[in-house]
Amino acid sequence: MSKTGWAWTWFGFLLALDIAIPWFVLTHVKKMSGAFLFWTIWVVLAIISAFVIFLKWKEARQ
Amino acid sequence: MSTTFWVWLGIAIYIAVGLAIAMMARRQLGAGVSEFFLANRKVGGFVSALTYSATTYSAFMMIGLAGLTYINGVGALGFELTYLCGMFMMVFFLPRFWLVGRKYGYISPMELLNDRYQSKGVGATAAILALVFLVPYGAVQLMGIGYLMNGVSQGAIPVVAGIIIAVFCAIAWSNIAGMRSVAWTDAFQALIMIGTSAAVLGVVVAALGGFGSFFSKLESAVPGLLVVPTAKGAWSINMFIGLALPWLFFLISNPQVSQRLFIPKSVTAMKQMLGGFLIFGFIYTMISVLWGFSATLLVPGLEKADLATPTLLTLPIIPMGLAIIVMIGITAAAISTIDSILLTLSSVWARDIHKGLINPKVSEAGELRVGQWVIPIMAIIAFVFAWWAAGKTGLAFMIAPLSSAASAGLLMAVPTIFGAFFWKRATAAGAMVSCIVGAIVVLLFQVTGWKPLGWWPGTWGFIVCAILFVGVSLATKPPREKAEEFIGYLKEKLAEGKFI
Repeated sequence: MSKTGWAWTWFGFLLALDIAIPWFVLTHVKKMSGAFLFWTIWVVLAIISAFVIFLKWKEARQ
Repeated sequence: MSTTFWVWLGIAIYIAVGLAIAMMARRQLGAGVSEFFLANRKVGGFVSALTYSATTYSAFMMIGLAGLTYINGVGALGFELTYLCGMFMMVFFLPRFWLVGRKYGYISPMELLNDRYQSKGVGATAAILALVFLVPYGAVQLMGIGYLMNGVSQGAIPVVAGIIIAVFCAIAWSNIAGMRSVAWTDAFQALIMIGTSAAVLGVVVAALGGFGSFFSKLESAVPGLLVVPTAKGAWSINMFIGLALPWLFFLISNPQVSQRLFIPKSVTAMKQMLGGFLIFGFIYTMISVLWGFSATLLVPGLEKADLATPTLLTLPIIPMGLAIIVMIGITAAAISTIDSILLTLSSVWARDIHKGLINPKVSEAGELRVGQWVIPIMAIIAFVFAWWAAGKTGLAFMIAPLSSAASAGLLMAVPTIFGAFFWKRATAAGAMVSCIVGAIVVLLFQVTGWKPLGWWPGTWGFIVCAILFVGVSLATKPPREKAEEFIGYLKEKLAEGKFI
């Protein structure tokens, strides 16, 4: 698979977790260490993934 | 001296500083449409990041999102962070928009669509979507300011006065030097937004005994708000998807933000813009949600959730001076969004409707004049909508759902935008039919409140729109030559710049 394909797949996986974990795994955890902590870590992971990709960008000739 | 006096003084200082920055920006204003609407595509990374942040984040955050957290709990965090996760798609779209913007000289995202699909109808359709759905979104910002000034002044400043002040600032800052004054004032306002909100959250958390104590109190006082769905039934999966789906694609569906993908002066500036925004967005989202949670502990039982922030700011634990500074920070958030919306709508009207459809031979100066006239007209329309909506109650008239509803309409342009960059087989007919029918579905479902299978209007609209886009495109003839040239150019340049 191309790098673009992998990046889209990773993004799709993140979105699947967005629903799966809070609604099906943490739905009874009435604590800040439940959905609140999950979403915080989850988005940090998404941000780091974006950094890993865009830090490789370099100037292109116009 | 009374609170009202200090509130007015704070507003006066804010307006004076903003005007001074806008006038400084005007000194660097050159001639031409690209200069006025895009600052000649020469904006540095720092200002690009801050103008993107200030345009994206608005009164919605510290009022709407805080209100949504206050009433419905942690799902609000997931909803807003889903937007931020969606910013991952910037790794695909930012270089693509930027590269073709430079090559073909596009002023607005709609012009890009016109050219790619070789049809003025596509840009005009997307332009009408923007004009229809961005008005309520702009109005939401005005409502936020009205509520806030009214709340902090404890009723002394009427809601409508706050709305009028916001309209004045937005018109001035977008008209004085176009993108240059908007970007510079945005940068100033973004720093105020994040600085003031962090400071006031710190004060409130300290009053609650620090983060450990704050979280313990939340777990014991409102445990039902820490899960999805909540104990009261909010945040069903359908509600979450209904609200989050339009937000997920906000970066390409909302022209006031996608137009900013044209402005960085270099690849380095693009990287700074994206990195800076992601960090800003994460911090500001966490602050807004924790602020909403603190309101559930400190001012429980409010009838209107959007009043959580104004009410919290009037508590004795927050010094009056800080409350006024925070009010200005939130006002800045709202105005920095609405002036960007006005500027984008004016460029869309001038380039895609006036020049594209009404008067193709108009000179650049004439085009610019039309754009500058559109700014106050759109502002007045948003003002009337805000005045009307501010008098209503219920979930549909809360700031967060109203914002999301506006974005649900804009979501209908998403398949068309994906097709432009990724699908050579996409056609103008597919684009127009999908946008129009999708938008009608969204409007009908919004107005009637109909939610078949419990799915929200944006969800239904998006499904219908995507199916129509693919189906009609397959049944009609694509602009093959342009598609090959456009996507071929991108393929070559993307590889050259190590983009993906």
